[in-house]
Amino acid sequence: MSSVLLLNLAWQISTLALVALGLAIVFGKLRIMNMAHGEFVMIGAYAPVITSMLGLPGWLQLPVCLVTVGPVAFVLERTIIRHLYGRMFDSLLATWGIAILLREIVELIFGRGYQSVSPPIAGTVCVFGADYPAYRIAVIIGILLGFIGLYWWNTRSKTGTRIKAMVGNPNLAEAIGINTARLSAGAFVFGCCTAGLAGLILAPTVRIEPMMGLDYLIRSFFALVVGGLGSLEGLGIGSGIIAGTQTFLGAVASQTYGYLAVLTLSTLFLWLKPNGVRSSSR
Amino acid sequence: MASALLPASLLLVVLLLIPELFGDFMAYQIGLYLIYGIAAQGIGFLWGKTGVLPLGQALFFGIAAYVTAITLRAEGNLFLNLALAAIVLAVIAGSAFVLAALVFRGRNESGPYFSLITLALVMIAEQVAGTATSLTGGFNGMSGFNSLGNLDPFGGFYYVIVAATVAVSLLLFILNRLPVNLIAKAVLDNEPRMQLLGFPTHMIKGAAFAFSAMIAALAGGLFASHQGIVTPASTGFALSAELVILTAVGGRFHVLGPLIGAVIVGWASTELRDSFPYWELLMAVVFILVVLKAPGGIAELFEAAFRRVRPKTPTSAAPAVTAPETRFDKTPRPLRFEDVRLKIGVVRILNAVSFETPATGIISVIGPNGAGKTSALNTITGNLSVTGGRIMLGEVRIDSRPPHTALSNGIGSKLQVPSVFFSLSVSENLVIAMMAGRLRMSDLFKPSTFQWRSKSLSDILGHPSVPLKEEMTAPVEYLPQGHRQFLEYAMTVAAEPSILLLDEPCAGLSPDETALMTKLVQSYQSETSRLVIVIEHDMSIVEAISDKVLVLHLGKVLAFDDYDKVRQNPQVQAVYSGGTK
Repeated sequence: MSSVLLLNLAWQISTLALVALGLAIVFGKLRIMNMAHGEFVMIGAYAPVITSMLGLPGWLQLPVCLVTVGPVAFVLERTIIRHLYGRMFDSLLATWGIAILLREIVELIFGRGYQSVSPPIAGTVCVFGADYPAYRIAVIIGILLGFIGLYWWNTRSKTGTRIKAMVGNPNLAEAIGINTARLSAGAFVFGCCTAGLAGLILAPTVRIEPMMGLDYLIRSFFALVVGGLGSLEGLGIGSGIIAGTQTFLGAVASQTYGYLAVLTLSTLFLWLKPNGVRSSSR
Repeated sequence: MASALLPASLLLVVLLLIPELFGDFMAYQIGLYLIYGIAAQGIGFLWGKTGVLPLGQALFFGIAAYVTAITLRAEGNLFLNLALAAIVLAVIAGSAFVLAALVFRGRNESGPYFSLITLALVMIAEQVAGTATSLTGGFNGMSGFNSLGNLDPFGGFYYVIVAATVAVSLLLFILNRLPVNLIAKAVLDNEPRMQLLGFPTHMIKGAAFAFSAMIAALAGGLFASHQGIVTPASTGFALSAELVILTAVGGRFHVLGPLIGAVIVGWASTELRDSFPYWELLMAVVFILVVLKAPGGIAELFEAAFRRVRPKTPTSAAPAVTAPETRFDKTPRPLRFEDVRLKIGVVRILNAVSFETPATGIISVIGPNGAGKTSALNTITGNLSVTGGRIMLGEVRIDSRPPHTALSNGIGSKLQVPSVFFSLSVSENLVIAMMAGRLRMSDLFKPSTFQWRSKSLSDILGHPSVPLKEEMTAPVEYLPQGHRQFLEYAMTVAAEPSILLLDEPCAGLSPDETALMTKLVQSYQSETSRLVIVIEHDMSIVEAISDKVLVLHLGKVLAFDDYDKVRQNPQVQAVYSGGTK
């Protein structure tokens, strides 16, 4: 295996894990089948476009991303999503509507065409004897550190338990002093912001267009299904299997075979092992 | 059947008028919307009735469209083409049935996972259609074939579409009035109860999925013939989602809802798309509003307006018909637990439980909370699989089977918390219970099945103190707890099970109702000389009805004897009066 392939695997797996993280919170914890997850990735990816359109300096990309994604997610949660806790099928349908809505709005503002932005870190570095874009190396390391931090926080925090209590029995959760409105809105907005962040990070490496979200949504869902909902380990394993299979087969055979293998694998998991590899609920 | 013929013929008249009033081009466009509408009607049937949401219906639509395109290219003989179409429909329905029945086997809910599987499958199909260029023409699709029977898509073919639309609608209207409809609704309402009543719910959902797949395939065949081109988009994710949206907006609970949705949305989108740039935006908002506020869609609004003009007239109850005998072995057989163990996670619930009941009589099961009483009953029905030992009914091993097979062994079960069909009326609940253990395939399609009555059920309903007969048309969700207990008891006894399992039948009942319930249980046992196993905490009831008493404690049998001997048993006394073990 060439070292470029290895680095590509690391890149694909780490970015998929970041994209799927938000969905793991919104779907895994809040039980909202968020079909608009990919659209938040898409909005996040437009942040550098907005920044350069407004002529703002590059370091403002992150604040711009959070300022566009956060309020959108908050408004949607308060107006639509909050009616959907405990109604999984309806959440799937309503968020599908939201996805169309967001795509259309973005299309009205930016048009249907592709946009592209340049990475904030240019050039390549030599890793394992291969020249690889420095930006991607930085992102892989950043995501790895981020997940280590998140894991450390997750083992100490009670937020996950509170969310589980709220989704399981909202009335009782309120009775024992959990502010469900704030918690659900907070969790949803946080999940969407991580998706937006993923979009921002991916922006220099992909074509930015209104329809780009669907692919991320599908792969995130499959990563969660394969890995199992509710644990960070499951998220990592699922992302590894999905992105790993697709990248590896894409390199040795063709993109189509990689894609077909992922779809087939996911179908088999959904059918035979719907709780995934790791189903422990942390 | 007049009530099915009237709306279908109205539909026919309206559709036949369209080319006369608006011209051939409009009819051509409406024809396309109707094709999508037919596929959406299939989704409406599956989703509205059984609650299974298919996200990949374009899979069947597209496969049929490609097969049609390939066939029409190669072969012009109308008769051969129609025969092939029938075969293709049968194959698609068969594979859809197998797929759904396999996925749903061993589960008692529909969940979102089946929807995701259909989504993954349609994406596979789209990918294959786009890459297998030699078979499908790749991304450019297949074209260059005449329509079925060489009809003009802008002329004669419209009438073929109208015929298909009316035929599918008529079929759905008729199904709405038959027992299958009630069974589908009951599966959506309470699947575990359906399984305990002996219905293989995975097969029912499989059949509903197969039916909807067949309708989608029919629409796909018409589409290829109508449009003269088939591309990977015809078997794609976007079309699948579009069909679901049409169904939701039009109204999934009504036969014509998806058709209305398809025509209105399709027509409005061609009219407005060019002049009104926010059209797609508007559609998304409408769709979200429908999901949140009006799950019945446009059809429900129409129906509400119509009902204002002509309120629903209550139909008088049809005379009762004697139901056929239940079809399971009714010879009295003893029930034997042999070293039964049950472990869930790390919790050991039953630890080597062994006992043998007599073939008839009333056995009471008592024991402190957590003794494993309810779990023991659940191992008999198969709702819990044992982790060791076995349960024998006569010479037949019955443990760890799917719950829907319990009734075929003669086991009927009334659960601790009344499990009935809450969205259905009392009489509909009883109709379903009457079908349990009696239904043959053909009875599903006979209206007379609705009128079935048996002596055991009439005895209960005819009893002067039983409260149910005044509330036959009331939805069960509004019944008080006590009445639900009687309803569930009546439903369990309707099948005349040889082994009747009752889990705290008197919970939540007033003293009068408790006396009544006890009397009903006793008279069922004495008249049929069956075996009744009842979990009960009230010792006066236990004393009054029991032939034998089984005491469970910490997942073990503490005593199994007649009431007086059990009461004298020092171990039982220790457990009940709080002494040391």
